[in-house]
Amino acid sequence: MKRSYRGVILLCFVLLLNIICTQQVVNSFFYDRFERVVLFAVCNIVLFPIALWIYFRERDVR
Amino acid sequence: MGEDIKRNNDKIPFDENNYTHNIRKAGERRLDRRGFMKTMVGAAGIFAVSTMPWGAIAVKELTGLGSKSHPKQKLANANDLKIGEAIEFAYPGEHDAALLVRLGENEFKAYQNACTHLKCPVFWSKEEGRLVCPCHHGFFDVKTGKPTAGPPQRPLPEVVLSKEQGAIYATGVKRYET
Ligand code: FES
Repeated sequence: MKRSYRGVILLCFVLLLNIICTQQVVNSFFYDRFERVVLFAVCNIVLFPIALWIYFRERDVR
Repeated sequence: MGEDIKRNNDKIPFDENNYTHNIRKAGERRLDRRGFMKTMVGAAGIFAVSTMPWGAIAVKELTGLGSKSHPKQKLANANDLKIGEAIEFAYPGEHDAALLVRLGENEFKAYQNACTHLKCPVFWSKEEGRLVCPCHHGFFDVKTGKPTAGPPQRPLPEVVLSKEQGAIYATGVKRYET
């Protein structure tokens, strides 16, 4: 049985972006750069619906 | 599973005498593609939720910036302090120790004196002409508050001063500019 691993790969990528954003949030917070904190926190939150969307799209792909 | 494998070849035990591998639970130890993707989505959710507090604090800081004013506080009469001398005071709270240094006839500088390394009290060294942290030999430029040597990486928060009728007042604390 051949499976599609596209969803898995895309989600891995989303998670990588999550890690980067979280790291940027913490770093910017440390340096009191609050615009950047907000920017990356929003990115992180937006990534969740994207992940959900990828999941629902790729769930039934065989 | 192996239903179609010939049972009576004496290699695969019959169900009836399979005493050791007879436990079957649905989905046990199985992480399939879909389950893995679910886990990933959950992780993305956790990341999103966990950065929210930081974002919330940041938004608060950004919006509350204008309204965050510190009380005006009289520190000293200008003439009480000789050039090159410093006094200690507390600003804005009573536990926020700070340092007022007179550098010239009309030149005053004030910093909160908790070292930006590990919060030791920084003092003014007249002989060296710089602010010194005794704990790990951190040094700060008295003109800007920036660290010049030692472990501290961030400048000391500067206290904004104003002069009225020969008296020095503290009116606020500057933000880090790094
Ligand atoms: S606490 Fe000031 S140098 Fe370490």
